[in-house]
Amino acid sequence: MTAAAAPSLAQRGWGGALALALRLTLLIALVLIVVQAALVVQARPQDLITGAKGMADIIRRAMPPDFSELNKIWWPTLETVDIAIFGTVGGVVMALPLAVLAAENVTPSRSLYYAARGIIGFARAVPDLVWALLFVTAVGLGPFPGALALSVHSIGMLGRLFAETIEHMDMAPIDALSLTGARRMQVFSHGIVPSVLPTLAGVTLYRFDENIRSSLVLGFVGAGGIGFELLSAMSLFQYRLVSLYLIVTFVLVIAAERLSALVRARLA
Amino acid sequence: MLRVCDLTMRYPNGKLALAGFNLAVAPGELVVVLGGNGSGKTTLLRCVARMLEPTAGAVWLGDVDLVGLAGERLRQARLPLAMIWQQANLVRRRSVLANAASGTLGRHGGWRTALGGLPPEEVPGAYRCLEQVGLADLAAQRAGTLSGGQAQRVAIARALAQRPRVLLADEPVASLDPEAAHDIMRLLQRLAREQELAVLCVLHQLDLADEYADRVVGIRAGRMVFDVPSGELPREAVRRLYLSEAA
Repeated sequence: MTAAAAPSLAQRGWGGALALALRLTLLIALVLIVVQAALVVQARPQDLITGAKGMADIIRRAMPPDFSELNKIWWPTLETVDIAIFGTVGGVVMALPLAVLAAENVTPSRSLYYAARGIIGFARAVPDLVWALLFVTAVGLGPFPGALALSVHSIGMLGRLFAETIEHMDMAPIDALSLTGARRMQVFSHGIVPSVLPTLAGVTLYRFDENIRSSLVLGFVGAGGIGFELLSAMSLFQYRLVSLYLIVTFVLVIAAERLSALVRARLA
Repeated sequence: MLRVCDLTMRYPNGKLALAGFNLAVAPGELVVVLGGNGSGKTTLLRCVARMLEPTAGAVWLGDVDLVGLAGERLRQARLPLAMIWQQANLVRRRSVLANAASGTLGRHGGWRTALGGLPPEEVPGAYRCLEQVGLADLAAQRAGTLSGGQAQRVAIARALAQRPRVLLADEPVASLDPEAAHDIMRLLQRLAREQELAVLCVLHQLDLADEYADRVVGIRAGRMVFDVPSGELPREAVRRLYLSEAA
């Protein structure tokens, strides 16, 4: 009986060899993937060495930062922050109802569920830079297309995370509230919202932090803010101004990240 | 007040959970249902509360049969029926008072309550319900900070705020320590008598049933085995309730 249950030595030998061959194949496949990626991106490590001199030259020309321009930078900074605020608030306003429709446990119908999931998926699939280019074409240059781009793109992330939060909530208090005779809207506002609000607020603050970073980049395609000024300064070879913008950007990103983390910790 | 007539429930998988069950609970009466796991006790309560649609039979709440009703008509008809559960099922991030007052929502439409506000005229009443369960001093506290026994009392206050005529209780003391369990059963008994509530309570604890119930009903395989005053519990029949179906 023992002999029948235990695999023979020969069987184990074959099994071991097969496992080793499988591991080697996986390793070779992984190496091949990395090599093809390096070929496709035309990686040239030697260029890093020859380009170091050029980089050093740019850094030398960027020093010291041009702090005399500090009084002119507050407006693009405010624009950047406001693009992120508008983008986040707009995203929340649109994502919240979509999330309710896209949460399996509270959606009123399957067709609305699939429609909401589709909209959320589409908003997420299109990058914010592409949304910004579309809105620049539609409403012209300036911070407004940037804010619209962030709003629409935020729907993707916020809608999905809001819906998942609602789906994972404890439904027992909701069922209990429904049984008291509360109407659907009352169950939503008295039961669902208070239960998920801290998580939704945390997700929103995280998104705001992300939107601050994104709003900097959106300026490169004409959507206002520090990014737009940064691109202009680079085009005009004003590297001391570029370094000032980069310092302000760094401070802004770190401040948003710290603020977001602080408030999320308080909500937890 | 509550009459269950020939109630039958067969689940989609073919399991017969209730087979022609009959029961009546009068105002002021506390009836305890005893039975083993899978005997049909919870299915009975869920069919009475119309959380499940029975296969056949009737559930009379006063002169209204809840079976067959749906949507707004069911919501309206079910208003005099409140339910408490094994867990308190409170909204943990809201205050004790807000949880108690949420029992009044069914009586109010309009934007204020739809947007999360409480009807101001109901707040004193909700506070009185908390007084009845001995928790008025915790009204401002967040529900998530309460002990199991306290939370269950708030759930009872929420049920009272509903101004019910029938109270269903599904193993309301299952997660409580013995002292808290006696507290809750005493409270249910007192509320039944003082407020003329018809209370139908599912329990596993024979001693609690014997001490607090007016009548005890035994259920096995979806059928009533006995229905007796609490002092006259047939011990052998009770023992058989908890034997497995195969035994």
